[in-house]
Amino acid sequence: MNFSKLILSFVLSATLFAQVSLAQIASTEALLGNSAPSSSKDKLFQMTSREDVAKKFEEMGVDPKIIEARIASMSDAEATEIAHKIDTLPAGADAGMSIIGAIVFIFIVLLVTDLLGVTKVFNFTKSIVN
Amino acid sequence: MTAALFFLGGCSSKNPLPLNNNTSSVKLDVPFVAPRSELCASSSIAMVSSYWQVKAQVLPRLTLEELDSRTLIPQKGGTLQIELMAAARANGFLVYQLEPNIDALVAELSVGHPVIVLVNRSFSWAPLWHYAPVTGYDAQMQTVLSHFADEANEAVPLATFEAIWERSQKWGVVLLPPGKIPATATPRKFLSCVYELEKSGMLQEALLSYKAASTRWPENVEILFALGNAYYGLHQLNKAEEMYRKILFLDAVNPLALNNLADISLHKGKLEEAESLLNQAKTDDVAIEAILNATRQEIEKARVSPIKYISF
Repeated sequence: MNFSKLILSFVLSATLFAQVSLAQIASTEALLGNSAPSSSKDKLFQMTSREDVAKKFEEMGVDPKIIEARIASMSDAEATEIAHKIDTLPAGADAGMSIIGAIVFIFIVLLVTDLLGVTKVFNFTKSIVN
Repeated sequence: MTAALFFLGGCSSKNPLPLNNNTSSVKLDVPFVAPRSELCASSSIAMVSSYWQVKAQVLPRLTLEELDSRTLIPQKGGTLQIELMAAARANGFLVYQLEPNIDALVAELSVGHPVIVLVNRSFSWAPLWHYAPVTGYDAQMQTVLSHFADEANEAVPLATFEAIWERSQKWGVVLLPPGKIPATATPRKFLSCVYELEKSGMLQEALLSYKAASTRWPENVEILFALGNAYYGLHQLNKAEEMYRKILFLDAVNPLALNNLADISLHKGKLEEAESLLNQAKTDDVAIEAILNATRQEIEKARVSPIKYISF
């Protein structure tokens, strides 16, 4: 479907096989308790998370050339968290208040003043005072 | 009277900045990058990185453009915390998330570590998330200094800072050059952070940090083990062995150290020694038992058909 995605799948499957076939020393991962997933089902799940992140990043306008590097620098847990919560996670930005934010803010202020009976801006409000 | 007290309570911080020591005000010399729309995460990393470039002669690995392209999600108009940390690591820095309180922030600033914080400039129901490097504080004025927006080292009243910081659950990270340890670090958490660096392929950088940690916490078995593994990963088997032996000096039946020593013996073709090392290991942990068994099988395999092991 997409070239970067293809590369990503290839890299991930390569690491999957590497992990299976190499008899290793006890790793620092084993010590830290967040040990590598034992079943291949878990591994597949984590690969899917990374693919999900790649897809969402592409939808959200991230430059496809850099998606692979960005995902590669995340840990499995981080990739899973992003895959599940990207819509609700905070994203720090520079701008002060945006125009839309300001409009919403003014709307709510006027709504409250309407409800308090100080103003009568909207047709649908009924003052709760008197 | 009560109303007045309540009002005062709202305006002054419950937890004032410390006045009583010789670090009652700190102002770190962090280079300033003017705000660029939506790129505060990238700018914050750049500012702190160039601070360390001057202080500790570390060369950042990425350019500002590369940092920009690694942090921004255009449709969200900003940067996720995870990606700020990942990009900072890719830039060659160790990233350590602080305990969520003002004391940790002050402690790091006092030893010359700038802190990148996430704040919500607005209300929780209409959030305006923003990253900024905190560059110091002034306990006399009860202000926090940061490169918040258009002005370098802008002084924000402590109460205001705490209010907007509270909304991100007081999220803050230090970016440190390899080999430096946060003032507020605990050994286990620091170890995890170094391991993140190691996993991202920066073996030499990780080694420096493990070494520093083993100097700061010389009797910590976990750090010695991670340091040993880092040496192993860099094919310095003698150094690795030395670290695993140090662990046995502190904990004679440590299964992980014994397993890895057995592995090294196996690679050297000393099968008897490997087996006797494994037999000294004691563990109740099923996962560790599985690792020991895997090594046992390797030894058996080597017995049946001796393989020429790669010499390191």
